[in-house]
Amino acid sequence: MMTYIVFILSVIFVVSFVGFSSKPSPIYGGLVLIVSGGVGCGIIMNFGGSFLGLMVFLIYLGGMLVVFGYTTAMATEQYPEVWVSNTTVMGVFLLGLLMEVMLVLYVLKSEEVGVVFKFSGVGDWAIYDIGDSGVFSEEIMGVAALYSYGAWVVIVTGWSLFVGVLVILEVTRGD
Amino acid sequence: MNPLIFTTILMTVLLGTMIVMMSSHWLMIWIGFEMNLLAIIPILMKKYNPRTMEASTKYFLTQATASMLLMMAIIINLMHSGQWTITKVFNPTASIIMTSALAMKLGLTPFHFWVPEVTQGISLTSGLILLTWQKLAPMSILYQISPSINLNILLTMAVLSILVGGWGGLNQTQLRKIMAYSSIAHMGWMTAVLVYNPTLTMLNMLIYIMMTLTMFMLFIHSSSTTTLSLSHTWNKTPLITTLILITLLSMGGLPPLSGFMPKWMIIQELTKNSSIILPTLMAIMALLNLYFYMRLTYSTSLTMFPSTNNMKMKWQFETKRITLLPPLIVMSSLLLPLTPMLSILD
Repeated sequence: MMTYIVFILSVIFVVSFVGFSSKPSPIYGGLVLIVSGGVGCGIIMNFGGSFLGLMVFLIYLGGMLVVFGYTTAMATEQYPEVWVSNTTVMGVFLLGLLMEVMLVLYVLKSEEVGVVFKFSGVGDWAIYDIGDSGVFSEEIMGVAALYSYGAWVVIVTGWSLFVGVLVILEVTRGD
Repeated sequence: MNPLIFTTILMTVLLGTMIVMMSSHWLMIWIGFEMNLLAIIPILMKKYNPRTMEASTKYFLTQATASMLLMMAIIINLMHSGQWTITKVFNPTASIIMTSALAMKLGLTPFHFWVPEVTQGISLTSGLILLTWQKLAPMSILYQISPSINLNILLTMAVLSILVGGWGGLNQTQLRKIMAYSSIAHMGWMTAVLVYNPTLTMLNMLIYIMMTLTMFMLFIHSSSTTTLSLSHTWNKTPLITTLILITLLSMGGLPPLSGFMPKWMIIQELTKNSSIILPTLMAIMALLNLYFYMRLTYSTSLTMFPSTNNMKMKWQFETKRITLLPPLIVMSSLLLPLTPMLSILD
């Protein structure tokens, strides 16, 4: 099972994305977002990125999603929508699940999936070969490179986040 | 809006487009697009009524979808070529997805539906920024990937855009919607020649931006957003009325004016590449555009409709100071004799 762990985690990832894309109330969307964040962390960790996975848990789930959860709890309505409460939501959820199940069966049965581009079966998702150089971990080197060669990226993304806050404050301020 | 915040946000819009135009790494281009999109939302929402909020939401949703498609094309390109540099996109799937994403950002058919609605819902100045500055970034990326764009898809989108831009503008009386449909048609002209000679795309973009800037500034000066209110400018400033005539005819592509130059060059380039039916069709469909410009000039500069005397006056607000209006008007009507200078662009 461990060779297929990334595949299983990706399937759970997609299913939880379907879960919040079918638009139940934001509280339930946040719930499946927690699941998808945790599963995404698992996927990254299986490729050797332990630091980035912990970043997902700490910053994304522990910071941003907590704030999102609190603001949604303040703005929630009396009878929030669940996946089974509204026919539309349930229909979209089941449709997404059905498509995912059919895709998984297609991937498992045939050698290649040639829908948009070619997957060679489950081969890319299995863990036994990750193409590492063995001496140093690529992912920590990547983080180090972000702060040395990638200083411009840090500046641009930092500015984008700052302007994001300005924009949100400006939009919600009203007249 | 607080002037400091407004300046910061406007500078961020400029910075986003600059990042898109200057970057050599696909991820930075995507970041530039997102920064541009994020920062233009409060500019679109300068007045706080439900129409502007709806228009900004529509703009945000379509542009965010286009950014997602762009990211997908970037990742497919990464998967197949192993590198992040901007060169031609080697994989056909990635190229098609990227062309569709950039077409959504520009407002080409079949992704043109947001342009009239968003332009109508926002103020004239915001509409000006939307229809001129926001076209620069996607067009620069199209220019950079032009060797690898699938010709069938791009030409289909271009010709359909010219048709939709002409046909859709026929039933409009709101000036902002007319400008939106004119933008769709001009984008169609620009992308039609992209694969053959991208320099002409840039020429057309330059002249289109000048003419659209001029038109919007004339509208802002006379504070008019409908054909009816534009038809009263003869009473307020007759000079503006004449200039509206000249600029509109230039937008329609009539010969002694500078709007003719890009159309002429594009048709010449297309016929040099042995396609004759296509430029003929494009020129015929540009007549639809000319028809609704002519209708605007007819009701504005050429005739005075019979009306009661108190209907003839416009509210006299204090005159807005329009920057650079005279040079813009001159440039958008008198550039045609400079056409031989185009040889310096090679």
